Amino acid sequence: MDSPLLPHGVKRCSTWAFFFWTLPWVALLAWGGLSAFLCLWKGLNQTNMSNIFAFALWIVFDLAIIALGAGAFFTGFLTYVMGQKELKNIIKPAVIIGFICYSGAMAMLGIDIGQPIRGWFIFWHANIHSMLVEVSFCITCYLMVLAIEFIPIILENRKLEEIKELRIFGHNLHEIMAVFAATGTFLSFFHQGSLGGMFGVMYARPFAAREGFYIWPWTFFLFILSAIACGPCFTILCTKLTEFFTRKKLVPDSAIQLLAKISAWLLSLYVVLKIADYLGWMYGIIPRSGLTFESFFREGPYGVYLIVLEMILCGILPAIILMLPKARQNQGWLIIACLLNCTGIVLNRFLFIVVTLAIPVMPFDRFWGYLPTWQEWGIGMAVVGYGFLLFSAAYRYLPIFPQERELNPITE
Amino acid sequence: MKKGNDHGKNKYGMVIDIDKCTGCGTCMVACAAENNVSVRADQSDKERTITWMNLYKISNGKEFPHTEVSYFPRPCMHCDHHPPCVSVCVSTATKLDFNTGIVSQIYTRCIGCRYCQAACPYGARYFNWWDVFPQDKGMDRYLTPEVSPRMRGVVEKCTFCHHRRMRAKTLAYAEDRREIEEGEYVTACTEACPAQAITFGDLNNPEHEVSKLIKHPFTFRLLERIGTEPKVYYHSTRDWIRKLGDNFLPGEYTPVVNQTWAEEEWSTKPGRDEF
Amino acid sequence: MKLTRRNFIAAVVGGIAGIQATPLPWKITDDVAIWTQNWPWVPVPPTGEFTEVSSVCNLCPGGCGIAVKKVDERAVKIEGRTDYPVNPGGICPVGMGGLQLLYDESLRFTGPMKRAGLRGAGEFTEISWGEAFDILAGRISNLRKKGTPEAIAAVDGNPEGTTVSVLIKRLMKAMGSPNYVRPLSITDTYRMGNLLMQGTLAPMAYDLENSDYVLSFGCGLLEGWGAPGRVMNAWGMWHDGNPAKRKTRIVQVESRASNTASKADMWVAPKPGTDGALALGLAHVIIKSGQYDSRFVADHSSGFDDWRSLEGTNHIGFKTLVLEKYSPEQVAKITGVNPKTIVSLAKGFANAKAPVAIYGKGKDSLNGSLYEFMAVQSLNALKGSINRSGGVLLPDPIPLSNLPPLEVDAIASEGLKRPRLDQAGTMRYPFTDSLINNFTDAINRNPKSPVDTLLVFSANPFFTLPDGGGFKNALEKVPFIVSFSPYRDETANMADLILPDCTYLEKIDDIVWPTGLQYPLYGLSKPVVEPLYNTRNTGDVVIELSRAIGESVGSGFPWENFEEALQARAKGLFDAGGGLVSYDPDAPAWQRQKAGNGPKPGYKSFDEMWEGIQSGGMWYRPVSSPKSWQGLFNTPSGKFEFCSKLIAQAIEHYSNKISKKAALKNMGLAAIDDEACMAHYQAPKAGADRSVYPLLMLPYEMINLASGWIPSPPFLYKTIFENQLLKDKSFAAINPKTAAKYHLEEGELVVVKSPAGEVEVRINLFEGAMPGIVYLPLGFGHTAYDEFLKGKGVNPNNIVQAGQDPISGYPVWWNTPVKLVKV
Repeated sequence: MDSPLLPHGVKRCSTWAFFFWTLPWVALLAWGGLSAFLCLWKGLNQTNMSNIFAFALWIVFDLAIIALGAGAFFTGFLTYVMGQKELKNIIKPAVIIGFICYSGAMAMLGIDIGQPIRGWFIFWHANIHSMLVEVSFCITCYLMVLAIEFIPIILENRKLEEIKELRIFGHNLHEIMAVFAATGTFLSFFHQGSLGGMFGVMYARPFAAREGFYIWPWTFFLFILSAIACGPCFTILCTKLTEFFTRKKLVPDSAIQLLAKISAWLLSLYVVLKIADYLGWMYGIIPRSGLTFESFFREGPYGVYLIVLEMILCGILPAIILMLPKARQNQGWLIIACLLNCTGIVLNRFLFIVVTLAIPVMPFDRFWGYLPTWQEWGIGMAVVGYGFLLFSAAYRYLPIFPQERELNPITE
Repeated sequence: MKKGNDHGKNKYGMVIDIDKCTGCGTCMVACAAENNVSVRADQSDKERTITWMNLYKISNGKEFPHTEVSYFPRPCMHCDHHPPCVSVCVSTATKLDFNTGIVSQIYTRCIGCRYCQAACPYGARYFNWWDVFPQDKGMDRYLTPEVSPRMRGVVEKCTFCHHRRMRAKTLAYAEDRREIEEGEYVTACTEACPAQAITFGDLNNPEHEVSKLIKHPFTFRLLERIGTEPKVYYHSTRDWIRKLGDNFLPGEYTPVVNQTWAEEEWSTKPGRDEF
Repeated sequence: MKLTRRNFIAAVVGGIAGIQATPLPWKITDDVAIWTQNWPWVPVPPTGEFTEVSSVCNLCPGGCGIAVKKVDERAVKIEGRTDYPVNPGGICPVGMGGLQLLYDESLRFTGPMKRAGLRGAGEFTEISWGEAFDILAGRISNLRKKGTPEAIAAVDGNPEGTTVSVLIKRLMKAMGSPNYVRPLSITDTYRMGNLLMQGTLAPMAYDLENSDYVLSFGCGLLEGWGAPGRVMNAWGMWHDGNPAKRKTRIVQVESRASNTASKADMWVAPKPGTDGALALGLAHVIIKSGQYDSRFVADHSSGFDDWRSLEGTNHIGFKTLVLEKYSPEQVAKITGVNPKTIVSLAKGFANAKAPVAIYGKGKDSLNGSLYEFMAVQSLNALKGSINRSGGVLLPDPIPLSNLPPLEVDAIASEGLKRPRLDQAGTMRYPFTDSLINNFTDAINRNPKSPVDTLLVFSANPFFTLPDGGGFKNALEKVPFIVSFSPYRDETANMADLILPDCTYLEKIDDIVWPTGLQYPLYGLSKPVVEPLYNTRNTGDVVIELSRAIGESVGSGFPWENFEEALQARAKGLFDAGGGLVSYDPDAPAWQRQKAGNGPKPGYKSFDEMWEGIQSGGMWYRPVSSPKSWQGLFNTPSGKFEFCSKLIAQAIEHYSNKISKKAALKNMGLAAIDDEACMAHYQAPKAGADRSVYPLLMLPYEMINLASGWIPSPPFLYKTIFENQLLKDKSFAAINPKTAAKYHLEEGELVVVKSPAGEVEVRINLFEGAMPGIVYLPLGFGHTAYDEFLKGKGVNPNNIVQAGQDPISGYPVWWNTPVKLVKV
């Protein structure tokens, strides 16, 4: 039915099959839509956020997908700025994943704030001292960059390409993509960093507080590093997932392996620095506040096991797997390592957001616990649904894997 | 234009005597009544109920019959040095006023991102999870016009009853004075405390009682070592209470012994069981 | 131009793009933001003229001075008055939240009503005042015509001696019913103890502010005992200045680490109900060490030493009794307090210059035990802390005028001869003037309620009586109930007719001598705002009702309105002379003025005085120098009586009627002879199989929760901790050791079962709870009012199994055996 829209020379499932495939994701979107409506109409009392858990599931989700979406800018940086031509095979899906993550995060933030209609006050009444302002500016700008990067990909659609003006426009855009890649890199560098800075600067919360360089706490740099270490892995995972569902090989192994190798080095560097950060924090900030590391986990649902998981199972282990060429060349190990890597980074964000807030600072205050409501899950799941939908549509209608035709010749 | 008619800066602060505090909660009620604070049917949801002034119950943890309980009344600390909430606010909705030392909150500018709540270690900031209440049943009849009720979706907090300072200044101006005297401007909790446990005044004015009280060795602040420089001080003769005012590693806390203050010897014995 | 799909789309897209270039999007963005800043459903409190009205808080018998801030006609804030002698500046949290009791419409009756739904459902239809009077007066006249005026009964929660209570009593008498009962409070215990030991009718006057050693047996000084504004102000004063040089020490005797116990200089925890034994243990140590005031004992007391009567019988005195039976070791066995602590406590009391031992049970809203009071008061006598600065003062009763004698008609005089349902004042309860627990029993015991029409004034006995739900059952049997409550409380919800009072901020009313105050004070509250609804001051309603009944009842009330009656009584204040109607904070009323040096009253005529009382809300006489001993004690011996002659006479009198054994048994006495006339400890009856009910339940009060007939302002629930109330469950505080024994954890749901009933609560592990005791907070568990109060927690009164206190017959509500059952 929609065959005129499909890219040339590739095989796609029937329209009906595609329709049924979209149903679960549409359902997630509907769940999210209902949740969003309730939260906007009745207020944030629909969530289990509280004066204790001022930041909760949504912010964890936001920070997680922004970190995971870092594959977009970083792959762009490697491709266009560093000239890693091999990665051209994967840059388009990376950009789309980035776009999904960032636009999803922006939408969630819009619901998360108590006065969405006044959201623009961040820009109008900006407090330049706030890390969150830096985050907002950079993310907004970067989302625009992502949109610009996305446009030429959309223009490659068979039907759109038939229009001459658009084709020329797309081509010209493509020519200057290096500029946007550089801009995106710069913006991402700062918002990934300031997302980390947001927590490091909370100097009155010893669990999150970090020392640092000039105005930037160590978390600033660690968040950048962790984002670029896990972003490529997430891109790999998404590609592998697409390959799994389409039962096709879409990206040459060389591109995947290059990304994995880069990720391995970055993750190793991150793990080393993160351990140093933990040690510096444990022997610096914590005792200076009169606390001990154990005291943070005296009570409550969040235990020290979270840090063990973050650092060993989801940090050191994937770094080793990815480092060993033999291991990362094995499909199974590669996927496990990527999954662990991404989990570790999400866990890291969770620790900084939820666990920080669950731990009381005043010695006579209590520990708290938090479970999201279905409305909160709904919003989160809507982003997942949106991601699947957009990516599926992009895959179906756009030639986002340049090697697809070569790797899967149609034999009739 | 020259900056107002304030000659010299004020720095308002508070000393709460924990030994005098009876834990009755009048300060909390007075604060809520003075500041049009929302009341909801379920106030036991302590994560979401709004209490600008909040009582924390503390215990010395000893076994019966040596148990003691006490209370920390906790308003906003109005941190004097780099308040954790102020620098993080995205829309400049909260500020440290250098003329009064008061950390203000502009409800109509707040976008409700709640970063300030995350940053505040004292839990002094409250978000309006619901629309303002009471609205029906005639309970809006007791709302005072001096403090505007807050809309849903913004953060609110103790203002040191800033409107009372405006009131005091208006009265002083009407009497052709440019300065307000000690005691003319006090917070609602200070005024309401039936045991006179709260003293309020200008920390920059050495004549004010608060300036004298904060020099006392039994006076301390909450989480002093984090460096927020709160302008709310506490006072207790009991070591276990003072010790709960901050986090200490084993052996770090030193009891106050025989300090001289105002040329008088002070005993440090908490008194109980010993006198 | 033809409209094609293509140029339609082009127009739309172009239009949208074009609009972006206009100011419109910016304007809209800005306007919607401004809209969020001015949401129409966020109230904007109207402004107006700011005024302040001085009045007196009437929510408890404490009577603190309040200043109500108003904006035009709206009251917007209640504050404490600094120009009022009781409470220089501060008030309690309940008083602070008082405006919610005025303005929360769903708490209140908006006019006279009659019942429309089932009893307890709280459904009423509004009627006119005329109709209400017709219904009630008709019913009363009928009963009188039938010759059964005693079937009218009244429960009056107004503090004794207030003008409205005097009028209600008078109305009952005029109608011909002896059945006027009141919920008991600590002042009833004080009254009886005062009468028996000191022969005085004035209230207890504890000179706390001048004392240097306050030994409190169970008084919740910080839980709302007495006038909270006064006591907490004293507390602040005691802790003022250099702690090393503090003058006053405070010792709290109580089984639970309450605020008072924790904040006191010393806390002693005897088992509940053994305070009297502890006091006698102290007396033992003091007597043995010879540290008692031998001059006071010799000159102004009787019954201390053994004595021989004129008939030649030997009697033992207080000294022998105490030395024989209350050594620290013996007392330790009873109370569980370490003998060393008893000795050190006695030393502390004995060595103080101006010690005072005060007696109470939590707030003042529940009764105490007569013998416990006597034991504590004996300690004061031992140290000569009676009629001495810093001790117990013996002021004259407040000089209010008596109302003109009431002439009753034949029906009434017949009715008044019938026995009271509660047996108060009979030989069994010779010194008791009202026993609501017996009154309840009398209704419940009879198949047909002996009460036909029950009038309830300023009381919510359904909720407040510690009677295991007895009064609730009684209400179900009474054919016709009339409530005068302004609030939709539990008792009012059972009523057939509502004649709503105004709230305390809408009416004139008096406060007579706040509990425990050491000088006489008459307070007058005034309407701060005009009545919001169609309600009327019960004082006026009583007068009007008497007129509606007519006959001799009407003629007993010659006053135009309530205010005239108030004035008629206040005449006595003028005649007595010397009272002040204004207060200077620099000369506190408790500070003993040098003779002739104190402030002088500024009025010359009664009208001037009344004007002063009305504007200032007070008439009081500051503490004066100690009184002459001559005729101070109005007891049979003319002295302070360690051994009460009145009790001896009463026992003898009753023994003449029935056997002595039966008399003692009926009076609830285990002791015989002289011991029964002196302070002594008598173990309460178990009342249940303790192997089935191994624990004791003790209700406790909090200052930040109203447990009496006044509902708690919703603001107060902000001050309740989440281990006291969580959603709809209140908590039982128990010691972790007790919890471990029954494998209970923090927050766990349990049923507290007593022989009288059961309640479901959560467990709060509290180190400050005495092992073996289950502490339940009073004030939760309302089944009436609105969503702020209804269905939150449980009311421990519902499972209280109360015994009777010897002689007084008052309920022993602190001895309920219970067990805990996991849910």
